[in-house]
Amino acid sequence: MRTKAHVPYLFLMPAIVLFSVFTVYPIVYSFLLSFQTGAGGNMKYAGLANYRRLLEDSIFWKSLSNTFIILAVQVPVMLFLALVLASMLHSLVRGRAFFRISFFMPAVTALVSYSIIFSLMLAGDGLVNQLLEAVGLKAVPWLSHPVWAKAAIILALTWRWTGYNMMIYLAGMQNIPDSLYEAASIDGAGKIRQFFTITIPQLRPIILLTAILSTIGTLQLFDEPYTLTRGGPSDATLTIWMYLYQTGFRYFDFGYASTLAYVIVVLIAVLSFVQFRITGGKD
Amino acid sequence: MSPKSAMYRLVSRLILVAGAFVSLFPFYWTAVAATNPSGKVFAKPPQLVPGSMFLENLFNLNASIGIFRVLFNSTFVTCVYTLFSLTVCTMAGYAFAKFRFPGRNALFSVFLVSLMVPYHATLIPLFKMMASWEWINTYLALIFPNVAYPFAIFLMRQNLLAMPDAVMEAARIDGVGEWRLFVSIVLPSMRPALAAAAIYLFVYQWNNFLWPLVATSTKEMYTLPVALSSLIGLSRIDYGQVMTGVTIATGPIVAFFLILQRQFISGILGGAIKE
Amino acid sequence: MSKSWKLFVWLLAAVLVLSACGGGGKSSSSGASGGSSSSSSSSSSSSGDAQDPVELTAWAWNVNVGALNEAIAMYQKDHPHVSLKVEDIGRLDVYDKLSTGLAAGGAGLPDIVLVEDDRIHGYLDAFPNGFANLSELGFDQYADLFPDFKKNLTSLDGVFYAMPFDSGPTGMFYRRDIFEQAGVNPDSIETWDDFFNAALEIKNKTGVYAFPADKFKDDANFRMMMNQLGVYYFDKDGNIDFKNPKVIQAMNNMKRFGDADLVKDVNGWDGTVSATVDGSVATIPFGAWYYGTIIDQAKETEGKWGVFLLPAFEKGGNRAANLGGSSWMIPASSKHKEEAYQFMAFFSTTPEVQIMAMEKYGLFPSLLTAYDSPLFTSEVSFFGGQKIWQLFSEEMPDIPTPYYTKDYAIAFDEAVKAQADVFNGKDPAQALAEAAERLASRTGRAVNEY
Repeated sequence: MRTKAHVPYLFLMPAIVLFSVFTVYPIVYSFLLSFQTGAGGNMKYAGLANYRRLLEDSIFWKSLSNTFIILAVQVPVMLFLALVLASMLHSLVRGRAFFRISFFMPAVTALVSYSIIFSLMLAGDGLVNQLLEAVGLKAVPWLSHPVWAKAAIILALTWRWTGYNMMIYLAGMQNIPDSLYEAASIDGAGKIRQFFTITIPQLRPIILLTAILSTIGTLQLFDEPYTLTRGGPSDATLTIWMYLYQTGFRYFDFGYASTLAYVIVVLIAVLSFVQFRITGGKD
Repeated sequence: MSPKSAMYRLVSRLILVAGAFVSLFPFYWTAVAATNPSGKVFAKPPQLVPGSMFLENLFNLNASIGIFRVLFNSTFVTCVYTLFSLTVCTMAGYAFAKFRFPGRNALFSVFLVSLMVPYHATLIPLFKMMASWEWINTYLALIFPNVAYPFAIFLMRQNLLAMPDAVMEAARIDGVGEWRLFVSIVLPSMRPALAAAAIYLFVYQWNNFLWPLVATSTKEMYTLPVALSSLIGLSRIDYGQVMTGVTIATGPIVAFFLILQRQFISGILGGAIKE
Repeated sequence: MSKSWKLFVWLLAAVLVLSACGGGGKSSSSGASGGSSSSSSSSSSSSGDAQDPVELTAWAWNVNVGALNEAIAMYQKDHPHVSLKVEDIGRLDVYDKLSTGLAAGGAGLPDIVLVEDDRIHGYLDAFPNGFANLSELGFDQYADLFPDFKKNLTSLDGVFYAMPFDSGPTGMFYRRDIFEQAGVNPDSIETWDDFFNAALEIKNKTGVYAFPADKFKDDANFRMMMNQLGVYYFDKDGNIDFKNPKVIQAMNNMKRFGDADLVKDVNGWDGTVSATVDGSVATIPFGAWYYGTIIDQAKETEGKWGVFLLPAFEKGGNRAANLGGSSWMIPASSKHKEEAYQFMAFFSTTPEVQIMAMEKYGLFPSLLTAYDSPLFTSEVSFFGGQKIWQLFSEEMPDIPTPYYTKDYAIAFDEAVKAQADVFNGKDPAQALAEAAERLASRTGRAVNEY
């Protein structure tokens, strides 16, 4: 190669400098903080005390299980829905642009309105329950029941991000040759069969990308539980990021909050790595 | 057309329309609420007919939080951030994708891992640092953090990996300088990816809340999310104002997206298939 | 192509430089900019009357901002060199910023900050040197102008760290027309038993709930009941009091209303307001400050409201309680502690200021001398001509002190969980006992056994 060796470093310089100052330094600082105990103003080193405390912290484990439960249900449901919608939109001839922008809008919504709207809609006598009762079903205690509260969060998340993923799949579908579908039709396969045997396998790498991104995003879930349910009822929707925020900003236990943060980092890293390996991707 | 596929078309159209309705309804409701007085937000059944108070709400909103200045702040910060970050991240992605050098993979992993660190944890050290430089309450504090945004670097890298090396090699043989190569040959072919990253960065910074909240101290410097949040005190909330603010806050993003949407799709895609 | 790139780079650089200069005014308390004489941090300097102009900064939310702005205008008549810049920040956001600033060693903080009473001790404990010692600055002389419970909440170990502002003396805000329709006379309600029966009657005749509660995320009603019984999460020594029979009694009271389907489950603040506006609840037990919300959001119901005190647990028992309320604190990092103190002492102890805050902004004063004003004996038309302010002001001296302690946030979380369990069927004594144990292990405090 005839390029001079220092060229890549020049291109990387700005990113590295900015990253080191604004990202690495705070991370290192807070990592050190994770070994300290005490409240806001007086911190002192306590070795691994915080980490040991974590192991026995039942609220932490609960928040972990909440996060994973939400993750396990929401991500597959949302991605599948996105696939179905993309598939339908793909075979539509006119009006695509309208649907594209409509489905994407929720992803850019401001948190303030999103939370007010959803909390009003999911109230005991809110819009959603009014609709349910209108068709003869019973009203659901969306935000008061440990299980339904999780469902409410999943509902909100799905509303917000399905369109975003749908757009990605739609783009991917544009690269699947029509000939594949035609051949299948001639062989007598119905649309649904074609969806499962052609569309999904062809989109595999993209599905992997969205799965990893959604997983990371859901593991970092904070906005929805914070505004809709405050982690309740009885910590049923307390996620790990929310617990972290509480620990630092409500209980002023900044050292322990940092500990939580780094345990989360390790978890996410391990999970992403595992996902990657299982699906045979390479970095 | 066989009855089966006509059926499929009908059903799929219905589902799409229902989906679009569900996606758009909250925005419609918000916009209507922006035209009504505060208490109407709680009307049952929900108030769906626009009222006539939009200008009044807008005026009150400006009186409460100086919406026009705030809108300027958000726009300025987000645009500068997007340009700045796009530049830095594209350069970095280029280095990672097109060159071999010692420590390349390790460095890239460091960037990726930092994505996973919760921002609450790094908030205080960052704040402390900014305070000691007296950057608090300036545009600098709002723009600089996260310029080297790992996800954008990742995205650009993936897309650049897909670009064939042959063209670059040919240019080098012709004696084209590295910077010119980057600017005149590589970048133009990356437009979709640039658009995708731009949208991503724009949306991130536009909706960014906690850092601007902490980093600003006077209302002249608030960004939209912070200003809107200040309307939610304990009691005596004017929901008409809040909803007006939200409606305004959504506008620019939608506009930005509409402009770039075509590029957006192929940009995200380019990173994925070629793995 | 590269020509336009050069242009781009220059543009970018120019913009960055511009943004460096274009920062909005730095808050005067954190920057070394603008050489306003940073008075020495020792508080005894009597040069508080120095004529160098001083600009104070304050953080407050919502209506409190208006009150501050009007107060500074009043103050400037005799102190023209003092000016004030108030930042209107969302209530919860103030705490995020305050916590961050304190944790960063006192950076970016204002001279004056509004803090709700239930958070004061938490902050004082977490940041022992974070706030100015107001006793040293001279506040002790004003101590007797305030009711006991307020004094206890704003001081620690006998030292004042906050200046009392507004309170939330409680009452049942009720809809006269709904009570009439059901044939219930509010004056006949003296105890919770009376109210229970009345509520059943109202539900039967009109289908309307007794009161709203955010059953699974907030325990405001429970806290009001505990307060009126003279107990709270903690006793005055800081021990966990969840097993106190009176605490259990309060929880039992909540349970029976819940079991009889008299409680409307609402979601948070928005849900409560929604229920207020649509008339689906007959009463809303809350602090006096709720007045402002009712007149703002439920304009069509003018004249239909009234207030009566919380029913007692036994005939002749205590009906006075408090919910909410805030006070002013001065961060230790302030460069104008003396001036900030002078102004805020003026604000807190001058009846005219407090009455202005009350009249225009619905902020109920804790200053006992303010109650002499005719405002407190006036008829309020929105409330059918009732003298509601008199009702609240007469209640104030009887309010027991709620012991929040620094672990209030954690205790609150555990109490809410206990309440949620109770509404989901658990026995109150058991739910509270379990909450007590959880709280003990999280805070290391002792649990009172009975």
